[in-house]
Amino acid sequence: MILYAAEVIPISFSDYPKEPCCVIFLAGCNFNCGYCQNWKLKKISKEYETNIEKIKEMISKNNLITACKITGGEPLLQHEAVIEIGKFVKSLKLKFGIDTNASLPNALRKVIPLLDLISIDIKAALNRDAYLKIIGVDPPLSSIKESLEIALKSNAYVDIRIPVIPGYNDDSETIRSIEKTLIELGYEEKAEKNMASITLLEFVPENAHFEEFKKLRNPSLEDLMKLKSYFKIKNVKISHRLYSNYG
Amino acid sequence: MVKNTTEVLLNKAPPVRRSDGIIEEFDKERIVRSLIKETKLAEILFGVPPIKEEEARKIANEVEEDIKKMNLKFLSGPLIRELVSVKLLEKGYHIYRNVYTRVGMPLYDVYLIDLSEGYEARENANLQPNPETFHKKKADFLSKESYLLMMPLRIADAHLKGDIHIHDLEYWGTRPFCQDHDLRYFFYYGLMPDGTGTHTSVAGPAKHPEVAILHAAKVLGAAQTNFAGGQGFFNFTVFMAPYLRGLDDRKIHQLAQMFLYEMTQLYVARGGQPVFSSIQIEAGVPKIWQDAPVVYKGKIWKDRYGDYEDEVHKFALALLDEYIKGDAVGKMFNFPKPEVVQRVRYWKEKEDVMLKAAQLSAKFGSTYYDNLIPSYRGGEDGVSCFQCCAYSFSEDGKSEEFKKKLYFEDGAHFSMGGMQVITINLPRIAYKSKDEDEMYEILRETMDIAKEALLLKYNIMIRQYEKGLIPFASQRPRGAPPAVNIRELVLIIGFVGMNEMMQHMTGYELHEHPEAQKLALKVLIEMDRIKDEYIKETGLKFAIARTPAESCAQRFAITDLIHYPDYAKKYVKGDLEKALSLWRETTDLPIYYTNGSHVNVSARIPLYERMRIEEKFFPILKGGNIFHIWLGEANPDPEAILKLNKKIAMESWIGYWSHTKDITLCTSCGFIGGGLYENCPICHSKEIKMYSRITGYYQEVDSWNTAKKQELKDRYRIKLSE
Repeated sequence: MILYAAEVIPISFSDYPKEPCCVIFLAGCNFNCGYCQNWKLKKISKEYETNIEKIKEMISKNNLITACKITGGEPLLQHEAVIEIGKFVKSLKLKFGIDTNASLPNALRKVIPLLDLISIDIKAALNRDAYLKIIGVDPPLSSIKESLEIALKSNAYVDIRIPVIPGYNDDSETIRSIEKTLIELGYEEKAEKNMASITLLEFVPENAHFEEFKKLRNPSLEDLMKLKSYFKIKNVKISHRLYSNYG
Repeated sequence: MVKNTTEVLLNKAPPVRRSDGIIEEFDKERIVRSLIKETKLAEILFGVPPIKEEEARKIANEVEEDIKKMNLKFLSGPLIRELVSVKLLEKGYHIYRNVYTRVGMPLYDVYLIDLSEGYEARENANLQPNPETFHKKKADFLSKESYLLMMPLRIADAHLKGDIHIHDLEYWGTRPFCQDHDLRYFFYYGLMPDGTGTHTSVAGPAKHPEVAILHAAKVLGAAQTNFAGGQGFFNFTVFMAPYLRGLDDRKIHQLAQMFLYEMTQLYVARGGQPVFSSIQIEAGVPKIWQDAPVVYKGKIWKDRYGDYEDEVHKFALALLDEYIKGDAVGKMFNFPKPEVVQRVRYWKEKEDVMLKAAQLSAKFGSTYYDNLIPSYRGGEDGVSCFQCCAYSFSEDGKSEEFKKKLYFEDGAHFSMGGMQVITINLPRIAYKSKDEDEMYEILRETMDIAKEALLLKYNIMIRQYEKGLIPFASQRPRGAPPAVNIRELVLIIGFVGMNEMMQHMTGYELHEHPEAQKLALKVLIEMDRIKDEYIKETGLKFAIARTPAESCAQRFAITDLIHYPDYAKKYVKGDLEKALSLWRETTDLPIYYTNGSHVNVSARIPLYERMRIEEKFFPILKGGNIFHIWLGEANPDPEAILKLNKKIAMESWIGYWSHTKDITLCTSCGFIGGGLYENCPICHSKEIKMYSRITGYYQEVDSWNTAKKQELKDRYRIKLSE
């Protein structure tokens, strides 16, 4: 099988909770986010054509990892490849996870039995205007909700990731609105079993795609702490260069 | 300049300004007498009889005639000496000239040293520019120059040409290299920092835990004045444990913190720097120590170290907690280097210690993992020391002598360390050979020179030791055996540039082809065999090890560009173009050879592949080697690192490894975080300090030499920052 993969990071200590994992970057994305740091992977191009066997070989030789994660781009645009890699990864007794923008619930439904971890980007409150400003295309809001529901009902660990962009989504209303949606879709029950979390991500302007985002400042650790305090639901984490979750 | 009329008329030599501050008339008899006296050194050092009186007189006469012709207004002692030296060279007396010449440095260089510029301003990243350092630099220069004159020409030449590198040359005649101390000795006999008890007060054995901690710190500080390299304690947590009985956790943490501060604030060693120190952290009591009697408070007790498992465990956790916390401003403690011992039992019963070690790696990268699990490390039966530079020494676990040491019978104790390191330039050996067979011959010749130099060092050290000139090492409190057994110190042959040697021999770098790895292994096996011959022949301890090569990886690259430019240009790593453009201005150039038998730091291969290549070399180097994992992330997950560590410990041959995390500190806003930044990512200030592991220790990047800075740029991180 041919797939479009831009890069493989053979070992990472920050892409899969508690596991040293390899990260596969698939090319192609249906969003056009101004803040995106992997924007070079947005287009599917000939140069990214890779035989899936090559990826499998890289995974099977790598005896130092305990997990494999697929990210992108939007991996579910190539869900058949994701399924094949997932089956292979599971056959090696490694954990398997993906990152997704939640826009493709039908593909997610097919992949989800293989997943131990699903990281879902939620970029803003689930309303058209707020989302559009960040992702640059008409937001498929009902699909996003549907994906969230599928994920939260599944057996996989779910991490909801919110890239905090000053002036776009760093206000209490956004947080409360996201929280309301998550509660409706069953977050609390899953979090109670420690199978779901929310991570507030530091956005790094230097790596952003669009000029207007490059001009922004990065959120400070205090900003993220404050946003965290707006949440009433549990398991809210912070990812910032200044902060580690172990003191 | 106009000459004094009387002198011209009488055709007399002008007055002499002597270097001891006296002005007197020129007197050629002084030349005769000094020649006769000083060339006696030729006999002592090289077995050449001193100059005969009539020859000395002839030289003095000729020098006087020359001076008269020079039309000078005044003379100085050094000038006359150099004129005599020239005369000696003209007459073919090279050895006499060597022992008669002056050593010293150009005034201009002295001037620069006080401004922290010029001579070796960056040779050792641990040396901060401060008044003590400037003093040391001048002394270093003088010492290095004179030791090269005092050793046989072929050894000095081999060093100068870059066939070999004599480490710590400034201490050649005065200090052995490194030592891992047995704390029980000081807990039994007490502490005499000067080794004789005449210049310092003499303390009895520590009775209280705080005093035990302070004594431990002062042992390392005092020993540093006698040794050129690292000072450490093996089995640190075990030997400290008896003092900790009955203390609560808060108190144990306080003691741990005290030790870390002592070791990073005793800013007194070798020209103003902290002691280059390390401690071995055992999570529990190793099998061989279980039944050994406890030694502390000046006595050997009935209870056994095995009874103190709980204290050892708590102390290990407390130490790691304090390392993780860092100092008052949140900076890492870069010394003493924590060496966390890996044993199968600890991974079953003490995973909490392993987790804290991983948390420290994730936060600062400071943990070193000393892996005793692979069979070649001797498993549970060995005593080992990795010291500062990952050298490992183990003693035969079965001998009577070993057991006496284990039980501290009559004060018998372990004393492990290196006498001297000489590194050989492997690429050079390849350049000189036309084929593989000749390469082995030249390898042998080069190692023979290293051996000869090491034996010379050995004899000098025995002389110094027996005269009581290394007093901390030779101390014998209350008739005890000496603190350091000088005859047991290891003669270490290091090497640099296996990767480039293979590149020349096979056409491939180590990571590019199995053929290169195979030949590298063959070369190492041959080096190991030659080393065994040396042991048999001399009865002394020799070892092959990877060299830390902080400056010699750069020096060999430069000397090869001088002597073998066609080859060296193809193989040196770093920024060759920039190096060539700066060629005439400085010797601090951004080029280097790859350390030891490491893979090219910029090789774009996954970690597991690099590990598979480098682990093969560990059993031969007996762990005197290090596996570097360069972390590219700001906040790696400690539990992910824990899992990787377990795999390396249990499933590989790696005997020693560390995770290197680059750290930036902003002095303007206080930001401390992972990654190297030119500007502070928070306040955008340029007032930043960057830290990384230079070779076997952490230090501020700004103080690194240019080659090491280049290497830092070239390192291929596990993960490129997002």
